[in-house]
This record gives sequence, C-alpha cells and structure tokens, in this order.
Amino acid sequence: MTAMHAPKKPAESRWQRVLRSLLYGLDVDRNVKAKARLGLAILAFAGIFSVIAIRLVMFAATSEGHGGRRSIAQDAVATARPDILDRNGEILATDIKTPSLFAEPRKIIDVDEAVELLTAVLPDLDATEVRDRLSSKRGFVWLKREITPGQQQEIHRLGIPGVGFLTENKRVYPNGSVVSHEIGHVNIDNQGIAGIEKWVDGQGLAALHMAGLATDQLQRPVKLAVDLRVQYALRDELIAARDKFKAKASAGVIADVNTGEIVAMVSEPDFDPNNPSEANDPNRLNRLTTGVYEMGSTFKALTLAMALDSGRVSLSSSFDARMPLRYGKFEIHDFHAQKRVLSVPEIFTYSSNIGTARMALSLGVEYHKAFLKKLGQLDRLRTELPESAEPLVPKHWGELNTVTIAFGHGLSVAPLQAVMGIAALVNGGKMIPPTFLKRDQAEADRLAVRVIKPETAEKMRYLMRLNVEKGTATRANVPGYYVGGKTGTSEKVVGGRYSKTKVLTSFTAILPADKPRYLLLIMLDEPEGLPETHGFSTSGWNAVPVGAQVIERVAPLLDIAPRFDLPKADQMLLVSAKDTR
Amino acid sequence: MRLLNILVIGALILAASFVYKIKFDSTLQAERVAKLRGELRRERSAIAVLRAEWAKLDTPGRIRGLADRHLALQPAKPTQFESLDRLPERPPAVAPAPNGDPIGAMLAPAAPDTTGSVPPARTR
Repeated sequence: MTAMHAPKKPAESRWQRVLRSLLYGLDVDRNVKAKARLGLAILAFAGIFSVIAIRLVMFAATSEGHGGRRSIAQDAVATARPDILDRNGEILATDIKTPSLFAEPRKIIDVDEAVELLTAVLPDLDATEVRDRLSSKRGFVWLKREITPGQQQEIHRLGIPGVGFLTENKRVYPNGSVVSHEIGHVNIDNQGIAGIEKWVDGQGLAALHMAGLATDQLQRPVKLAVDLRVQYALRDELIAARDKFKAKASAGVIADVNTGEIVAMVSEPDFDPNNPSEANDPNRLNRLTTGVYEMGSTFKALTLAMALDSGRVSLSSSFDARMPLRYGKFEIHDFHAQKRVLSVPEIFTYSSNIGTARMALSLGVEYHKAFLKKLGQLDRLRTELPESAEPLVPKHWGELNTVTIAFGHGLSVAPLQAVMGIAALVNGGKMIPPTFLKRDQAEADRLAVRVIKPETAEKMRYLMRLNVEKGTATRANVPGYYVGGKTGTSEKVVGGRYSKTKVLTSFTAILPADKPRYLLLIMLDEPEGLPETHGFSTSGWNAVPVGAQVIERVAPLLDIAPRFDLPKADQMLLVSAKDTR
Repeated sequence: MRLLNILVIGALILAASFVYKIKFDSTLQAERVAKLRGELRRERSAIAVLRAEWAKLDTPGRIRGLADRHLALQPAKPTQFESLDRLPERPPAVAPAPNGDPIGAMLAPAAPDTTGSVPPARTR
C-alpha cells in the first residue's frame, strides 16, 4: 500500500528532496502557498493600474488649466491700481499696460552678444551695467522697464535666449501738473509715495500687492472731491497772478463749507506727476498743507467770532483805537489808522490791530487759547494726504502772545487749517474736517462739531459782506455774486525780524455771503508792488483782485447763479434777524 | 460566453470612443476659453490706453487752447445769465401776407386774443 501511495509524488531523487526541504521547509504543501502568492500579485497589479488610471484622469482634468494660470501670473506682476476720478468722473490717474524687458542670466549663453544686440535696439541702455547684470548669478534681473511695443517686437525678433517680457501696469496722469499736489505720484513699482496715491496704498492695496493679488478687476475707482474744471481755472489764474506780481509762490483753495470737501487746491509752483523727480524740489511742495504761515489779518475773523460768540461783545460795542497799543517795549499800530474809538464792524473793515488786540485781551488769555483749540488751530490737521505740518504754537502763551495772535502774528498754521476754521465761522457754526474725497451732506453732518452759535455765524457773514462793500476788500465786489471776504497781509520774518517789504498776502472769500456754499482762499508769497497798484503790496491790491477774477470764472462752474436784486449788508442782517426770531 | 465577451468588447470600444470625443471637445472648448481670455485682456488694455488718451485730449487746458484758436466765444459775464421765469413771452407769429404786402402782414395779426400759443385767426 505504501508503495501504491508513493506515485502521488513524483519520484524525486535524493538530491532533489534535500534541496526542496532546504528551500521550502520539510512539510509544506506548495499548492496552498501558490494561491496566496497569486492573490498578492493580483493586488499589486491592481494597485499599479489604479495609480496609472488616477494619474491619467488627473492629466485629463488639469491640462487645460495651463493657459489660465499663466495669465494670472502676468496680472499679478503688474501691480494694478484703482483709477482716480474727479467729482464728475473725469480721469485724473489711470493704468495702462506696458511691456518690460527682463533677463534670466543663468540661461544666457553668450553675454557679449546679448549686450551688443540689446544696446543696438535700446540705445539709452548702459552697456556696462547690462553686462554686469547679465553676468550675475541671479535668477532674474530687470533690464529696462516700460519699453514701447515696437521695441518689444524688435527684441523678440533678435531671439536672444534667456531674455523675456512681462506686462506691467504704468501709471499715467493725463492732466499733468493740474492736480499734482492732491493725487501725488507713484514710483516705478507702481507704489504710491505721495498724496492720494499713498493714501490708496494705506487702504489695503499695499497688502494686496504683497500677496500678488492686485489684479485689474475688483478695483473700485477712487472718487475725489476735486472738480477738474474749477481746479484748472483756479490754477490758471494763480499762475497769471504769480507772474504778474512776481511772487515767489501762489496758492489757492476752494472748499465746500457745508461738507468740508476741497473742490480745488493749487499751490504754485507745482510738479508733473508723470515726472516724479520734480516733486522732490522743496520749492514745489504743497504750501497749503505742508507749509505753516502767520495768516495775518485773516485771523481777525477768528478773534471777532470769539468775541461775538462769548456774548460779552456785541456788534454795537466799541473799542478804543485812538492810540497805539503799548505792551512792554512793543507798540501795536494800525495800518489804516483812524485814531478814534471804533465800533466792532469798523474794527473789522478797517482791519484794526489795536481794536482786535483789545478785544482779545478783554476776554483773557485762557479763553482765547481754548477758542483756537476748539477751532483746531493749535493741533496738526490730518487729512487723506499724508503730508501735513504741525502748527507753530508759542510755548509760553502770555498776554503779549494773545495780543499778536489776535491779529494773526505769532501763531503759524497750515493755510488749510485756517480754511477749516473760517468755514466753521460762516456755515452756521459747525466745524467739519476737510476731505479730498467725495462726501455727502449726511456724512458731513455726522462729522460736524458745533463750535459757535448760529447767530454768531450770521454776524460773521454780515461782517465779511460789509468788508467787501466798504472795507479792505472792495475790489472783490464781483457784481451778481454777493461775495464776502477778509483780507490778510502779514509781514514775513526775515533774519529774526518782521520785514516791511516781504509780505504774505491772503484773501478769504465766502460765496455767496448770505448763505455761503463755498470758501475761497487766495495766498500770494512775497508779491511786489506794481505801478498800477501804486507800489502797494498789501492784500487789497493783489490777492483780492485775483480772488475776484477766480470767483467770476468759477462761480458758473460751481452752479451759483448771479443775482442782482440783493440787499446791502446792513439790510441782510435785519432780514436774517427777523428770520431767526 | 463568447457572445458576452464580444458584447463587452464592443461596449468598451464604444465607451472609449465616446470618452475620446468628449475629451477632444473639451480641449477645443478650453482652447477657445483661453483665446477669449487673452483677447479680453488685450481689449481691456486697449480700452485703458484709449481712456487715457481720451482723458489727455479732454484736459481743460487743451480744450481752452482749441477754443481760443477756433472759436469767437468769450467767457460768460455774470450779466449774461438770466433765469427762465424772467424770459419774455414769445412774440406773436407773423401771418403770411394776404396780398403780398409785408407791412400789412405785420400789422394784420395784431388781434387782441393772439398769443404765443394761440395762432392768429385767419381772415377768409
């Protein structure tokens, strides 16, 4: 029997048996093992094939994504900026796409040949600098930013390996220097470095640039309060005035007194934002926000408003201006000396230093200081523009300081600050921080702070109008527009002393005086006397006529209709007094 | 069994060709999308250039120069503005002369009820 069973296993030689037992062990059934192996092999192959299948599906699904990805990279390199528009939607700043030339030095084979070919197409390229850049070990270098499409075409045809183009955004300012100080300018990387451009970066655009997400879409244009036509007219008149009176500089602001919007702001000389290197010239800085000046008689408006608002002085009060006011070793004189007792309106129209000084003294130093603080004349004025200047406030404010500050000497403020203060005196007593962005009445009312009583504002309008009818600003009486205003002539400090010949003249006008909508400030730095001004260089002879011309020109643009049936200033006060009762 | 195999092979070929067709179409569509995107980008930058150019041509300074050169217009003076409610009534229409007499025609429509909106009554 055992012999019969034996043939199940094929006859093996002794050697074979020994080998088998060495390889597989002594008593192992190979059929069972084979099944397990087969299973393992199937599993392995199934795994490999499924990996291949998944890869195939992935290729099929993502291959068309290539084109899209490239375009995003192109947009991201171009740091797009939002357009800047004026209040009517005219473009003040916009982006256009320009190609820029770059190289990857590691991929360049023959540096000398590349330099030769490139400088042939772009003659203004510095050959040694290009050679240095191409010989460096860096992965990426700019060769020239903002080339023309024609040059791009030519360089493309040269077929230099390792040289390529990227589309970048270039900032253009179609209006050139007309709105330069407000919008500021950008650097070569399209980052704002001055004016509203810098403010835009501060609003989160800079972070977007860093993340490479600042693309053309999703960017809302920035709408400014400035009116391009008014701005142009103002600038045109100021350039003419600067030439005519041979002034060092001229500047002007038109502000909406009810919303605080700056409708126009010019400081001559200015610069062309398309050529930013001009902006570094200190002579071209914006005198209205970054310069501080003693505003002269313009400040008398603040002193009078303070006195009238205190309730201790009324329009019928009078002050002694018979003798110069002696204070220690100083003596305060009047320019248009009357040598008699003056009533409050007379003090304003004759621009009496003595009268205003006595008025301020009667209220006390602390009251004066607190009032100017309330009107924001003692703190730095912050607007959207990054450029601003701190006012120069005397460290020890004594009675002498109050005397001089009452008529505008001894305290230097930024002219825009004075505009804000005077606007508050005439718009009904609400101080509204000035803005360069468009703002509606509701928002302005939310920001407004009441600083003086509405009745006082009424009296200030009357005084301003009276001053144009029979005071120092008669040349501003443009028929039909009912202008009110206050002149200011301050002597400039030259070598530590007040100069008699170098003056800063200004004119502050409200338009129309019975219900002001706009405030205009004209400022001339060191105007000279002319034969037709009889050699005078005071405000009434230069800043006021310039203001009149500006008003005549911009009033139709500002939608102010001329009226010829208006009462005299004295009647105006009576009418408004009846209205308020 | 053999029939089933043939059927399965046939279905496989059908499915494969169908998938290929879909894939081919989608590639075409994707290319079209990429092309349109590029076109859009080009058009957008062209629009930006044109807008900048228009803004440059539209600057008040340039318009003023052109107006000075080509127009005889002067800046409006305050006295030249007038409100609508102060406009005078429209003058009565002049009726055609019945017999070719112009002066008679001017005198004729002076009927009392003739206004700007009521035409003069025609005689005859």
